[in-house]
Amino acid sequence: MEIKLLSKGYKKNEQFYQDFLNDTIESNDDYFTDETVYIKEAPDFPIYMAKRSEDDRKQLFLEAFETVGNHYLDSNRELHFDEQFWHSLLVLKKRNFLLREYPEIKESISNFNNIVLKSFDWENYIYKTVIGAEYITDLVEDEATRKHYYEVIVDNLDLFNYMIKYEVFRNKQFVFNILSIVDELGLSSLLKKKITWRDDLGDDPRVGRQVLLEFNKSYPVVMSPMLEKDELKEIFMEYLGYYVDVAELGVLV
Amino acid sequence: MIYKKDANFPYPVLTNTSNSYESGGFTLNVDLKENTDTYRFDIEYEVESAFLEQLLARKQAQLFLIIQSKDNKFFRLQPDERAIEIAKSRLSINTRTSIQMSIQATTDISFRDNEDINDFYREFKDDIIVPKHALLGFSNTVIFEGSSTKPFDLFERKIDATLKSDIKVELGSETIVIHYKNEDLQFAGMPMSGTLNNPYIYMGLQKALHRFATNPDYGDDGHVYLDDVELPTDQLDAKLYRLMKAKMVYELDVDSLDEVIYKISDRVIEKYATAVKGLEASGD
Repeated sequence: MEIKLLSKGYKKNEQFYQDFLNDTIESNDDYFTDETVYIKEAPDFPIYMAKRSEDDRKQLFLEAFETVGNHYLDSNRELHFDEQFWHSLLVLKKRNFLLREYPEIKESISNFNNIVLKSFDWENYIYKTVIGAEYITDLVEDEATRKHYYEVIVDNLDLFNYMIKYEVFRNKQFVFNILSIVDELGLSSLLKKKITWRDDLGDDPRVGRQVLLEFNKSYPVVMSPMLEKDELKEIFMEYLGYYVDVAELGVLV
Repeated sequence: MIYKKDANFPYPVLTNTSNSYESGGFTLNVDLKENTDTYRFDIEYEVESAFLEQLLARKQAQLFLIIQSKDNKFFRLQPDERAIEIAKSRLSINTRTSIQMSIQATTDISFRDNEDINDFYREFKDDIIVPKHALLGFSNTVIFEGSSTKPFDLFERKIDATLKSDIKVELGSETIVIHYKNEDLQFAGMPMSGTLNNPYIYMGLQKALHRFATNPDYGDDGHVYLDDVELPTDQLDAKLYRLMKAKMVYELDVDSLDEVIYKISDRVIEKYATAVKGLEASGD
């Protein structure tokens, strides 16, 4: 499949939005660079999971992880980690899919910007999917176990977001180890808990985020991203103990 | 994470900018190579502290190579390891890529026998114990911004109406020249016309590499070991030589030219096939 790449200036552009609705983008050369990229295949997958029930959101994420994991990760990373590529693909090849699945795009340019032309960073659902699918497919061979880990990501999305947001944690092994520890020890709901018993921690303090914050503070004296899982687990429990009574949890470490 | 400036450490750390070690610094050099599917980083480094070298030899400390672009990648380096390969599907270097080495303690380390540190720390070195997992040193940062090896500066296309054939592939003094009898043969005006010419690129590379492989100045019996060959004075051969070296081709043989073309040509045939399928799908 050949995809022409958009040139700068298409974002927050009312005319571009109207042309998208009228299906007249592709015929207008002004919107494109001279560059073209090729990909073998580009199956549809959910690209926006906000404003859904928890169950729906989980299903959409799993579908996205599986499709991206199976079909989008063989290209050079300079392609599948590139905002310009994804925006070009969506606008040129996915228009019908987008209008069908996310009809709110038709309502306003702000919905269009927020769903289709969202910046390609940790807040973008495609970015979350690509990075999660890369990490899990690289570290897990077996299909069923991969699916399990995708579920662990969705069940601990707040923690996952926090890890891929900060440069120091954005590392395959660290993300995978933390998810494994949380999964093995059944800590998911505890880590999501809002800390109401302290008032010195800023807005919306959650147990899981605070534990990661401790890792951040201790770096590089503790070089956590490079630790093996068992070493990491010990320190994880130590930091967890700063916020909750670990003895009461009844988890065996 | 990569250190750009000196962080404050409560103990001596070996770097090129701090003076806590008197013995020297921690230097890193990296040479980037690539072929169609892979980047390879050839590394050279020097840890200028006998104390830290000994910790590494005794496995009380571990060397890491850190590559940071879209995310962080860590590699545990064995003492004799001098190269890291990464698939292009897992690393992009078109955005800024930073590379650094670090040394991490694998156990609590007493600095009692550390004779490399400066006078200030030496006075109380008996009391310095650096905890397990802590950073002991980090190197300079090597930065790459995009790769530079473009294969197609090798080619020229010309139209020659007097040609006695439709196409003629000629090895010029600096380039491989593809002569066409007329513009139509270049698919001019068609979508993807550039890519549709890839089979001629392939033919040109075959011809040029065959001449290279059979040149008695470079090797014997159609076999060349590139490491044994000096940079050729022929300018076309020099371009091919540089390109092959950059793409990690070490040997050239008349019987394996196709494999070499695959490594150096950035998917010419795959792109061609995709273009043809695209034309078929659009019904032209």
